[in-house]
Amino acid sequence: MSSTVERIENARLIRESAAFVVSADRLRKVRAARYQIPGFDQGDWRAFADLGWFGLRLPESRGGTGFGATELCALAEQLGSGLVSGPVLSAIATAPLAPDEWVDRVVGGEAVVIPAWQEERGIFGEPPRTHLCAGRLSGEKRYVPMAAGADAFLVTTRDGLAFVARDAPGLELSTDLLQDGSHFGTLRFVDAPAMAVPGDFGGVREEITLATAAYLLGTMRKAFALAADYLATREQFGRPIGSFQSLQHRMCDLHIQIELTRASVRRAAGVLDDDSTAEQRQLAVSRAKARASDAAMLVTRQAIQLHGAIGYTDEYDAGLYLRKALVLANVHGSAIQHRTRFARLSGLGATR
Amino acid sequence: MIMDRRQQAAGDAALSDAEFRSAVREWIAANYPLDVRNPPRRLRFADARPWYSKLAERGWLAPRWPLEQGGLGLSIVKQLILIEEQEAFGAARINDMGVVMIGPLLIRFGTDQQRARFLPSILSGDHRWCQGYSEPNAGSDLASLRTEAVRDGDDWVINGQKIWTTRGGDANWMFGLFRTSATPKKQDGISFILVPMGLPGVQVRPILDISGDDELCQVFFDDVRVPATNLVGEVDQGWAIANALLGLERVSLGLPKYSAYSLSRLAELMEVTGADQDPAIRDRYVQLRFDLDDHIALYQSFVDELKETGVIGPGASILKIHQTELYQRITEMMLAVAGEDAGRLMPMAEDAGLFPAGQFFVALPTTIYGGSSEVQRNIVATRVLGLPR
Repeated sequence: MSSTVERIENARLIRESAAFVVSADRLRKVRAARYQIPGFDQGDWRAFADLGWFGLRLPESRGGTGFGATELCALAEQLGSGLVSGPVLSAIATAPLAPDEWVDRVVGGEAVVIPAWQEERGIFGEPPRTHLCAGRLSGEKRYVPMAAGADAFLVTTRDGLAFVARDAPGLELSTDLLQDGSHFGTLRFVDAPAMAVPGDFGGVREEITLATAAYLLGTMRKAFALAADYLATREQFGRPIGSFQSLQHRMCDLHIQIELTRASVRRAAGVLDDDSTAEQRQLAVSRAKARASDAAMLVTRQAIQLHGAIGYTDEYDAGLYLRKALVLANVHGSAIQHRTRFARLSGLGATR
Repeated sequence: MIMDRRQQAAGDAALSDAEFRSAVREWIAANYPLDVRNPPRRLRFADARPWYSKLAERGWLAPRWPLEQGGLGLSIVKQLILIEEQEAFGAARINDMGVVMIGPLLIRFGTDQQRARFLPSILSGDHRWCQGYSEPNAGSDLASLRTEAVRDGDDWVINGQKIWTTRGGDANWMFGLFRTSATPKKQDGISFILVPMGLPGVQVRPILDISGDDELCQVFFDDVRVPATNLVGEVDQGWAIANALLGLERVSLGLPKYSAYSLSRLAELMEVTGADQDPAIRDRYVQLRFDLDDHIALYQSFVDELKETGVIGPGASILKIHQTELYQRITEMMLAVAGEDAGRLMPMAEDAGLFPAGQFFVALPTTIYGGSSEVQRNIVATRVLGLPR
């Protein structure tokens, strides 16, 4: 395991290597892929693979870089500031669970493997009912992000993890479009041929949740920067509107929420990278995701308000950030769901 | 004596921050006078003096002063560790105006004579300092202050009034800002002058505050004559001098300890009242808990940055804003959870530490003193975020 200092240095390098995804051209790509199926650029996916992103969580012995949650979050933050779509983070976090014969293709960007683990609204409910029996998978998975772009799914079942190819007979996929231009898939399995794979999805789920918080951090920072630029240049009453105290104070409050999110995400990444218990991880991740969800909604919504009418147009980019926040704030657990989990795990209000 | 100092300085400087912290913790536990642990309000100097002297003897009263001025020359991070550990133990807050404010100011801007005269008296506790900045018509707009000092021969003659002087009645010296010129730009005509509180014409009147305490004072000056040598720096240059040292205050008012203590009281209150069985109240509590935990993480990231830069910038204002406002939100929730017991003049019967109204009133002025939340937000907006003025 790397030391904290090494991780921070790795994170810096990843930020730099990912900087190109936030280039001016990026939002044009984001707009082009909106409301399309599969909704992300296959060329991009290869480019991400060339940067080594899909091996980020794999040990070097399996062709990866052996990086941890700190590095994953650094990447997620950059992706969030560029609104990069596609199930990149899920794919990275899931790669260590892919069967050996698929790993090379995953790392090389030739195969997209997406986890499918949710069966109902809300993520802290009942264990899965989907079952795997004699190599046959039956059940239903919902809210699978960008499912139409997958080549295979890693599916949680009451009998452990299952791996199923997208084109397996007995697998039916339907999609629902989302506000940010991406989609959820619903997967119905009727005796679909699948392979049992070892491993536990619980830790990966926490990692994806935290990476989503980090993505939201990047998204809100970018929306904030857009608003700050606008306040410095837009003039009304003969002055730049950023000189008005009510707007200055609001910007200060948004800045505080962003800095709290950054500190919270960094802390949680440290907990995941340390030798922590499952409960410590869940507590830290819930804290970070609750903060990021609330702060991202606040900041991206205020970015529209601070722009006035122009912010409400589809042509202007502020709306892209709000739509992204609206979707991601509520997947992998909303703020209120995470606070409820935290209260339960920390024994608050337990019968005495 | 100076040899001992040198050894103490070398020893403390050689320790890592973590080792230093545990050494401090151990030493406080072994040396703190237990009869004044966790005092409900700030102690008068006479009651705090034994602890003040202990700290001075160990070199930890003024740890960051240079060795030749009686300090240990330690880093700002080690100074923060000393503050944090004293707070964590429940040590009384000593009158630190001398060691934190005027001492460093004289070290940086004073004359050799002033340093020789004043610094040893700060360390010995013979001089107790108060700060004379605010006036009835100069609060957030401090530069509009009007208490004037007029040169007359070898003296300054002072007339006017200061207000909100913390522990003014306990101090025998004041450092203050006084109007020495009427200039078009009001910041330009202000000088920094040291005033003995015992002089004829100085009158101190305590102000009874909303919580029933009287540590704040008004100080009146009626033809008070101060020797010209009590001027610090150049005439009319006091504003820049006073502003050079505000960083540490922002960080120390951003310490998580106040909110942490009140949140632990809120949790206890929820248990005592059974409010912890209500999911809506639990959700509000966890929001506050996340605010505290994330504040601690934010505070830590500032300290980490400080280790690299050694300078406290205007960015530290967000620590003060967030901590004080969180502290208030916690105490407001205590009032809401306590129901009828919120209105009690004395602590609740169940536990002397459960005193919702008392805690509420302690939190109430924190967003006003040390630069109000509104002024801090102005600072962040213009100096951190670069918004137009």
